[in-house]
Amino acid sequence: MGLNYYHIKKNILRARKLVIKSTSVAGSGHPGGSFSMAEILGCLFYKHLKFDPSNPSWENRDRLVLSKGHASPGLFSNMAVAGYFPESELDTLRKFGSRLQGHPDLKCPGVEFCGGSLGTGLSYSIGVALAAKIDNKDHHVYTIIGDGESDEGQIWEAAMTASKYKLDNLTAFLDRNFIQQDSYTEQVMPLDEELVGDDISEMWKDASRWKTGDKWRSFGWNVLEIDGHRIEQISAAIEKANTTKGVPTIIICRTIKGNAVEHMEDNPQWHGKAPDLDIVPLINLELDSQFMIAPSIIAGDMTNLANEVKRCINGRADYIHLDVMDGQFVPAKTFDHNKIKELRSITPIPFDSHLMISEPVKHVRDYAEAGSDIITVHAEVCDESSFGEIHDLLKQHQVSVGLAINPETDLPEWSYKFLPTLDQLIVMSVVPGKSGQKYIPETHKKMSSLSPILKEHNFIGYVEADGGVTLENVGSCFEDGARAFVGGSSMIGQNNVREAIREFRHEILRARRKVLLEKAHQLGGSDLVNKWIGLHVVGKKKEKITKIAKETGLI
Amino acid sequence: MSDMRTEYSKTLIELGRVNQNIVVLGADTTDSLKTAAFGKEFPNRFFNVGIAEGNLVSVSAGLAASGKISFASTYAIFLPGRAVDQIRNGIAYPSPPGKKGLDVKLVVSHGGLSVGPDGGSHQQIEDIAIMRAIPNFRVFIPADTIAVSKLVLLMANEYGPFYMRMARSKTPIVHSESQEFQIGKGITLRDGSDCTIAACGITVRMALEAAEELQQEGISCRVLDMFSVKPIDGDLLEKAARETGGIVTCEEHNIFGGLGSAVAESVSERYPVLVKRIGVQDMFGESARDNEIQLLLEKHGITSFNMIKQVKEIRSKKL
Repeated sequence: MGLNYYHIKKNILRARKLVIKSTSVAGSGHPGGSFSMAEILGCLFYKHLKFDPSNPSWENRDRLVLSKGHASPGLFSNMAVAGYFPESELDTLRKFGSRLQGHPDLKCPGVEFCGGSLGTGLSYSIGVALAAKIDNKDHHVYTIIGDGESDEGQIWEAAMTASKYKLDNLTAFLDRNFIQQDSYTEQVMPLDEELVGDDISEMWKDASRWKTGDKWRSFGWNVLEIDGHRIEQISAAIEKANTTKGVPTIIICRTIKGNAVEHMEDNPQWHGKAPDLDIVPLINLELDSQFMIAPSIIAGDMTNLANEVKRCINGRADYIHLDVMDGQFVPAKTFDHNKIKELRSITPIPFDSHLMISEPVKHVRDYAEAGSDIITVHAEVCDESSFGEIHDLLKQHQVSVGLAINPETDLPEWSYKFLPTLDQLIVMSVVPGKSGQKYIPETHKKMSSLSPILKEHNFIGYVEADGGVTLENVGSCFEDGARAFVGGSSMIGQNNVREAIREFRHEILRARRKVLLEKAHQLGGSDLVNKWIGLHVVGKKKEKITKIAKETGLI
Repeated sequence: MSDMRTEYSKTLIELGRVNQNIVVLGADTTDSLKTAAFGKEFPNRFFNVGIAEGNLVSVSAGLAASGKISFASTYAIFLPGRAVDQIRNGIAYPSPPGKKGLDVKLVVSHGGLSVGPDGGSHQQIEDIAIMRAIPNFRVFIPADTIAVSKLVLLMANEYGPFYMRMARSKTPIVHSESQEFQIGKGITLRDGSDCTIAACGITVRMALEAAEELQQEGISCRVLDMFSVKPIDGDLLEKAARETGGIVTCEEHNIFGGLGSAVAESVSERYPVLVKRIGVQDMFGESARDNEIQLLLEKHGITSFNMIKQVKEIRSKKL
């Protein structure tokens, strides 16, 4: 089974938007902690959790206990996306008479635990897990605790108890976002080490300072430490936890409070505050503008692709683009599914397999089974029937579905019906089959003519820019609507891949900030521009955004 | 004289044999509470969570939310006195559709002053007030082992949160084996027409002694066992107020928020008569060895002698 990468990602995006909508309408709530655990909930709800929204009290369901109950907007939003109740009900958050209370409540069917008073959910989960053991049930208990919450002594009472009873049917997630209500955790009550300066990123950079895992290990838990915003890491950790016997598992997820909205990120102010209504459209646009970077390893050393994969991982790529060429559809030949299978064993990082092959319908199953997470086939070698077959097969395998078009190809009309469920669209900006080509400038025009078609047919997937993408043109690709960026020689061809990816991110971020500034100006003139800039209080963001605003004449 | 904890343990084991959903939890006092015996017979339904009362309550809640009937026990001072948040937000507040609270029974020992030698730090005199104030909780204070046994069975058969406070010391039997116990129904142990004494727990015996002595002086005193402090039996109290004209309450608890308050609240709304409340006068207890517990109770006026005095005072004001 694939990771279901884009499916999870799209639902997380929907849930994040609902968090913003509901808290802003309610005028209060906790978006920061909802966003730090967004990917954790996404992986649970859209991949691992067993549940039935039409029968919330189904006996064999997995139990999800949100111990850090103040992040209820995150829970409720995902429950709505998962089908427990209509998304419109989120508008009643915290409202008199609503099932959606300020903190999770059994009033809302599907909620497992009345959270709010911190420190108690892990003990409660132990009770739930013990009951499952008594009854010989094999459902699993997943509990999300906070790092601020870990100040509570009862967390450690529970840590001892779960260990004593060998509760391997209990998995805890620590949403390690480094922020609690007053300030940074390492200033209020250090869980790792006391923070000396004001820069929380100091804690991120130096793994030798992370002590939290050791604490849990010493309590007898199986400890997994991951990046809590990376779907593949969360998913792999859950799988590992579920197969670990005789001990409970805690997955320590290093996260960013307010993740995905720049002005909220790492900002203690957003622990328990709702965004102003006039900022909401900007936040939504920002959420729609999340982007991913995917180096193409064939631009590296073809004789040691495993090493290229490792370089991408170390370089913090979002996923890896695998160009499969068969020597027929394109003149060149690279590798096939056997290579992908071999590379799969190295890492859980998502594999974005771009099949530049003839008759993909005949081979696509091999690529799914080899461990691809996204598979893109070319429109030139498909028709409605064969693509339909590919589409359904990939969805069954929890593999995201992509369609690619060559520079001279228009998006075929038969593909329109697939657009609502299509996960990825690659608009090639070079002729595939040869590396080292230059970006074809006409692609910009093509993108702008495609954009209304995609909108009209409810495409909510990601456009991937592929071919000749460089630091010089990546910003304009973003402005065209691309959200995934394949880097060839400009990325993997560099000695320092990490630095190259960082520079790409920087350029895209710059383009995104510009787009957001323009939107702010369009919605509320320089007042809104200034207000939005003013929200960016952490680090040097404000200066950087102000500079862009001045350059573009918006202030 | 018989021991409430022994009776509690015996009843739990009987219950455990017929009801697979009964689970018992303790916090390092399972030997004292005698619940360890349940663990011997049903090791997979017995959990000792260590000296961690918040944990005890929350784990009990989790089990109850999964269809179990949790009996969680330790000393009174460490449950309402320590884990009130877990009790409120973890047991009383969470209400599955159509239900009120979770199915957890908090059964404590060592309530009140009669804890004795451990001293004031261990004499829980606020628990009735705390537990009465929490919505969805029902509060029982049994007077003897017959009440203990019957109330445990009653709680097991009635969904929802209960608090039951037992005494540390052995108690005499005041009820007959055939006595029925119902939620919210007091028991008239002795009829009378001149005044009423409403008592709970160990003070029930004192009330019966007081009534007996008053009888010698020609005063007919009614004695009520108000074991169900919440819900309180308003009908029985109104009847007593109408028919006897005054009520003395007595409990080993602070004067605020306990049985006396419950009686006064009820009577003042339905048929106001004089109510005299005997209890700890808003202060703390202190150590008293087992043979001195009587002295400690006397210091706080929790005696049949004081009941007689208060009955007479009510009568003098009535006349």
